[in-house]
Amino acid sequence: MHIPDGFIDGKTAVVTAVISAVGVGFALRQVRRELPPRRVPLLGLAAAFLFAAQMVNFPVAGGTSGHLVGGTLVAALLGPSAAVVVVTTVLIVQCFLFQDGGVMALGANVFNMAILNSVIGYMIYRMVLQLFRRFGRDALPRVLVPQSGIGPTYDRGRVTAIAFAAWCATVLAAICCAGQLAWSGTIPWLVAFPAMATVHMFIGVGEGLISALVFLAVYRARPDLITETALTDQPQRLGELVRYGLLVTLGVAVFVAPFACSWPDGLDSVAEKFGFGHKMAAPLLPAPAPDYQMPGIHWAVGATAVAGAAGSLIVFVLALLMGRWLVPKPKDL
Amino acid sequence: MSVHLVNHHHGRPDSTVHRLPAALKLGVALVIIVATVLVPIHWRAWFIGVAVLLVLTAGLSQLPLFFLFRRLLVLSPFVLGVVLVNAFQPTGRDNWLTVAVKSILCLLTVILVSNTTPFSQILRVLKSIRVPALLITTIALMHRYLFVLADEVERMRRARASRTFTRGRRFHWNTLATVVGQLFIRASERAERIYDAMCARGWK
Amino acid sequence: MNAAIEITNLKYRYHDGTEALRGVSFRIAPGECVALLGPNGSGKSTLLLHLNGILPEKLSGDGTVKILGEPVAPKNLETIRRRVGLVFQDPDDQLFCPTVQEDVAFGPQQLGLGDAEVAARVQKALAQAGLADFGRRATHHLSHGEKRRACLAGVLACEPAILILDEPTSDLDPRGRREFKALLRQIPATKLIATHDLELVVELCSRAIVLDRGSVVADGPMFELLNDEKLMLEHGLERPHILRHQHPH
Repeated sequence: MHIPDGFIDGKTAVVTAVISAVGVGFALRQVRRELPPRRVPLLGLAAAFLFAAQMVNFPVAGGTSGHLVGGTLVAALLGPSAAVVVVTTVLIVQCFLFQDGGVMALGANVFNMAILNSVIGYMIYRMVLQLFRRFGRDALPRVLVPQSGIGPTYDRGRVTAIAFAAWCATVLAAICCAGQLAWSGTIPWLVAFPAMATVHMFIGVGEGLISALVFLAVYRARPDLITETALTDQPQRLGELVRYGLLVTLGVAVFVAPFACSWPDGLDSVAEKFGFGHKMAAPLLPAPAPDYQMPGIHWAVGATAVAGAAGSLIVFVLALLMGRWLVPKPKDL
Repeated sequence: MSVHLVNHHHGRPDSTVHRLPAALKLGVALVIIVATVLVPIHWRAWFIGVAVLLVLTAGLSQLPLFFLFRRLLVLSPFVLGVVLVNAFQPTGRDNWLTVAVKSILCLLTVILVSNTTPFSQILRVLKSIRVPALLITTIALMHRYLFVLADEVERMRRARASRTFTRGRRFHWNTLATVVGQLFIRASERAERIYDAMCARGWK
Repeated sequence: MNAAIEITNLKYRYHDGTEALRGVSFRIAPGECVALLGPNGSGKSTLLLHLNGILPEKLSGDGTVKILGEPVAPKNLETIRRRVGLVFQDPDDQLFCPTVQEDVAFGPQQLGLGDAEVAARVQKALAQAGLADFGRRATHHLSHGEKRRACLAGVLACEPAILILDEPTSDLDPRGRREFKALLRQIPATKLIATHDLELVVELCSRAIVLDRGSVVADGPMFELLNDEKLMLEHGLERPHILRHQHPH
C-alpha cells in the first residue's frame, strides 16, 4: 500500500503531510512521556524487527504469499503511540533506503499505515477485549478469576481481538488510500474504492491471522516483554486515544467522506429502479468523481459496502473460532 | 522489498555525484520532486529538462544501468493499473501519462540520491532541519540493526525449514509465526543489552 | 595501595530465583592481567556486569564491589564507568552507531570533552586498534573481527584504568585472534578477561580465576592452575596443549 510519488497531487500531499506531522509529533511526545529510558532503544529495534518480519513469506496458494504489515501487532505489543513512531520509522527508511513509497507521498503513507492502521487497530483491539471481559462465556466472578488477566478467556479474547482489529485496520487504511488517490484524480473513487477495499478484505485476513499468531507466540514465551497491557478496566490512554481519534476523523472526513456522501448516486440508481426516486441531500463537498459512463459501476460501490459489512461479521466470527482453536480450554476450570 | 536490493557492495563507485554534499543533493531532489508533482503535464519543457538532468546525473554517478532500470521497474504494476483504469475515460490519456511520467522521474531522483549518499549523512541533514531527536535515534537504530535482524530471521527460518518434513500450510504458518515471535523477543533482549552498552560508556 | 578491583562476598540471583553468584571474592592489583575461566553458565558474564554497576538492577545486591577503592553505588556510577571499560560479548550490541567514527566518539562525547579532544581520542583509539582508515565505514558492513576491534577502540577512547573483556576472541578466525591478542598486549591498563581461549590466557595472563556455578573454585598463578589437569577437567575446562611444551618462567 505504499503510494509512490506522482500518484497523489499537491493538495493531497500537503494535507496528508500536515495531518501526519501533527499525529507523529503527538506520538513522539506521548512516547517520551511514558517510555522509561531503558526502553528507548526498543523503538529502533522494534522498527528493525518489523522490517525483517515483513520479509517473511507466509505461503498462501500457488505462488502467492502473505506478508505482515504489523501496525496493529506493534500497537498491541508496545502501545499505540509507540506503534505510530515505529511504523513511521519503517516507512521513512523504506522510502529513503529502498525507495518503497514516495517522498511527497510520505504524508499519505504515514497517515494510512502508521497512524490510522495502528490507532484504529489498537482501539478495536481494546474494544473487543472489553467485550470479552464483560461477556466472555466462561468469565467467572472476579473473586475466582485472577486480576492479572491471564487465563483462557483472556487469551482467547486477545487472539480474537487482535485478529479482528488487524483486519479492520487493514481494510480501513485501504479505503483511506483509495480516497487519497481519488481526491488526486488519479483513479476515480468508483473504481478505487471497490478495488482497494475488496482486495484488502482478503489481504486483511492474512494480516489478522499472522498478527494473532505472532502475538500469541510472544505472549506465551515472554509476556513480560509486552509493555502494553490494554487492561480495559483502567481509564489509561483515554486522552491519548481521543486526540488520535480526532485526527483520524479529520483525515477520514477529508479523504473518504466526500466520496461516501456521493454513494447516494449508487444507492440512488437502485432506488430509482424500484420507483422510490427520492433524492438524498447534496454532499458536503462537491463529489470530485465525474459521472462514470460504464454501466453497472455504481453497483460495484454499493456491493462493496455490503460486502464490507458482511465481511466484518464473518471475520469476527472467524476470529472467535480461531481464538477457541488456538487457546484450548483447560479441563479443570 | 528485499534487503539485497540495497546497493551496498564494497566496490562502491566514488563519482563526483557521490562526493557532493548530502544537503545539496537532498535539497535539489526535494525541489525536483515537489515541482514535478505540482507542474501540469503539458509544460513539457520542465519534464524533458528534468529527465535530461537525471540521465546525466545517472551517467556521472557510475551506478550500473541495469541496477537503475531494475529499481524503476518496481513502479510498473502501479502504472499499469492506472493506465488500465484511465483507458476508458475521456480525460484518460492525460491522467495516465501524468502519473507515469511524474512517478518515474520522482523515483529516479530518489534512487540516485539514496544510492550516492551514505545513510548517516541523510540522517545528519534530517537532524539539521530539526526533526525530533527521538525519531532520529529510532531511525538510526533501525538502520543499524535491520541487516542484523534480517540475517537472524533468515537463519531461523532456514533452521526451521531444515526440520520441517510436512508440507501442511497450517503447520508452516505456525512455524513462521513462532519464528517471527522469537525475532521480536530477541530484538527486545538486544535492545536491553544495547541500553546496557550505552550506559557502560557513560550515557545518561 | 588500593586494589584495582576488590570484590567481597558477591551474591546475585536471577529473576527466576536461581543463584548466579554465590559469594564471590577476589582482589586484582593495578596492572595485573587476569583471566576469568569457567564453563558456560558459570556466571562469568553476570559477574562482569557487576563491575560497572549495570547489575544488580536495583543496586541493593549482596556483597560489595570496589573499583580503585570506591564502592560501586548509585551515586558514583558515572565515575566508576569512567574508570572501567567493559567490552561486551556480542559486538553488535556495543556498536550501535552508524559509522565507526561516531561509535568510537560516543564515549568521549559522553565524558563531556570538546570536539577537538574527541577527534584526537578517536584517532588515537582507532590507531591503537589497527583501524586507522575505518572511520567512515558503516558499522553494519564490518567483518566480525573488525567489529570486535571497533568495540575495543570505542572503549579505549574513554581511556579507562581497568579494561574488562567478555569473550573477546570467540568467533574469530585464527588471524583475527592473533591480531586481537597482539592489540591487547600493547594496552597497559589492568585487564580482566573472561574467556575460553586458553591460548590467549597462556600468552597474556599472569593469573587465573576459575568460576564454576557461581563460586570461585581456584585463584592463583596462571601456569600452576592451567597445568593442574584434574582441576581443569573437573570444571569444564582442559589443560591447554601449548603448555605441554612450555616450562614455567
